[in-house]
This record gives sequence, C-alpha cells and structure tokens, in this order.
Amino acid sequence: MSQTELPELDPVIHAQARLRVVSSLSTLRESDSIAFPRLQEILKMTAGNLSVHLRKLEDAGYVEVTKTHHGRTPATLVRLTRRGRLAFEDYTAALRALLSPGQEEQKP
Amino acid sequence: MTTGDDDLPPANPAESLRLIERERAETELSITPDPRAFLWPWGFAWVIGFGLYFLRYGPGDRVFVDLPAWLPLTVLLTLLLAAGIFTGWYGAQLSRHISGPSTRQGVMYGITWSVAFAGMATVLSTTNGLLTDAHANLLWAGAMVAVTGIMHMAGGAIWNDRGLFALGLWTSIVNAAGILVGAGWHSLILAVLAGGAMLFVGTYQWLRLRRLASRGVR
Repeated sequence: MSQTELPELDPVIHAQARLRVVSSLSTLRESDSIAFPRLQEILKMTAGNLSVHLRKLEDAGYVEVTKTHHGRTPATLVRLTRRGRLAFEDYTAALRALLSPGQEEQKP
Repeated sequence: MTTGDDDLPPANPAESLRLIERERAETELSITPDPRAFLWPWGFAWVIGFGLYFLRYGPGDRVFVDLPAWLPLTVLLTLLLAAGIFTGWYGAQLSRHISGPSTRQGVMYGITWSVAFAGMATVLSTTNGLLTDAHANLLWAGAMVAVTGIMHMAGGAIWNDRGLFALGLWTSIVNAAGILVGAGWHSLILAVLAGGAMLFVGTYQWLRLRRLASRGVR
C-alpha cells in the first residue's frame, strides 16, 4: 500500500471567481459562446471584475474572448477553449480524487 | 492587482464541487429556453382556433354555435401568425446571448418550419375550388398538422428531447385518427388532444426545469 499522491489543483482555476466563470462556461456546448453581459448577469459579477478574471483565463489559454457585432451594436463573446475544458475536467477529477482517494487508481 | 475574496480558493474540495454544481445548474437554467415560449402560443392557437372550427363546423354539418362563417379561419390564422412572430422573436433573443453551433441549429430548424408550411400550402392551394368546404378544411388542417407532428418529432431527434418527440408522435397519431373519424370531429380532436398536448408538454417541461433548478441551485 503505497501512499496515494495528492493531485495538484490548477492555480488558474483554483480561485473562487475563476472557478465560477469556468464552471458556468463549461455548461455551454463546445464551440458555443456566450455574450459578456449575459455571463455577467449569470455570475452576478461587476463588468470590471469579470474582465480581470477573463483576462487571466485568456492568458492561460482557457477562454477565448471575441469582439464582434450583432447588427450595429458591438458584442463581446466568451467561450471556453478546448484547453480550458480539459483543465476544468482535470480540476474536477482532482477534487473528486481528493475527496475519495481510496477510489483512485494508483499510478505506477 | 486586485486581490479580493474571490481570488482565494474555496475552503475545501467539497466546497469547490458544490460551487461547481451550483454554478452549472444556475447557468443551465439561465440559458435553457423557456419551454413554454415555444409551445404555449401554438397550443393556445390550436385550442381556440380549432375549437371555434368545431363549434361552427361540427360533425355532419352541425352548427353548435352560429358564428360568422369567416370567424374560425380568421381567428386560427391570426393566432398562428401571432405565435409564429412571437416564437421567432423569442428565438432571436436567445441567439443574442449564445452564438455558435446551437444557434445555427435553432435558426435552421426555424427556417425548416417556414419552408415546410410554405411548401405544403403551395401544394394544397392547387385544390382550391375543387373540393367541398368540409373536405377542403379536413385536407388543409390534416396536412398542416401532419407537418407539425413531423417537425416536432424531428426537433426531438435534433435536441435529444423525448418530450418534444412524444408530442410529435402523439400529434401525428391523433391527427390521423381525427381524419379517419371525419370533418368536425377532426377539429375537436386537434383542439383538445393536440392543442392541449402542446400546453401540457410546455407546462410539464417548464415545471421539470424549475424542479431541476431548485435542486441544483438550492
């Protein structure tokens, strides 16, 4: 019985606000984007605060922020990248492993 | 620069998982279209419109309520038009919030409805003046409702939505049964069983969504 290695938690996602952003975005279907104001409304965050966290996630390559137009009004669209989705899945798997280490497969 | 509370990690893994679940449930609820918006306007149009048809053009040429002859068709078409405008507007609102493959799917499905009805109307209009009123009513209503049943079933297949698929299947069956029973009864069956089913499925799915939400969001 070797000691189970505790999985490391991704520091980019491991901040409460960014975890909320990524969790929310993970609900969308792959390649679907959500409008910035809508995301802000769901998360109940200020525009400034959300922007700060989105930039950090963007720097990590986890989200993609696209500026576009809906008719004549400018729109900002946000989506989780494939890398972001993977990071989120790894993160939740790591959490589950931390909660029930006995059920994790031992790595060689 | 700004390091508020929200920059800190959640207290523990269990708390993190709860946070994830809560956020996902809340987003899911917030971006899922209201099932009532797509089904209720049509359900009401059918219940009222075909209901009037039954009252004015009952089985065996019976007139239950002596309404003006033009009224049932006018009311039905007006309500259908209103339902079409409303669901189109609602769909457009949705696509302003979410864009990508899901939106494209919705737009294509919406266009399919319009094309299906326009195509069917073009074909049926060639029978104008060739049939008795009762027969023409049965043909138009039966064909349009058959298209509706098919579209709902296809919608169920596209979105893996059992409720919508079942609604389409049910609509197709009661439509066929109504046609076999004959004009007059067909209107009553459409009003009560098909229109009523739309209202029922819309309500049922809406309640289920709310239940899921209250379980997830707490």
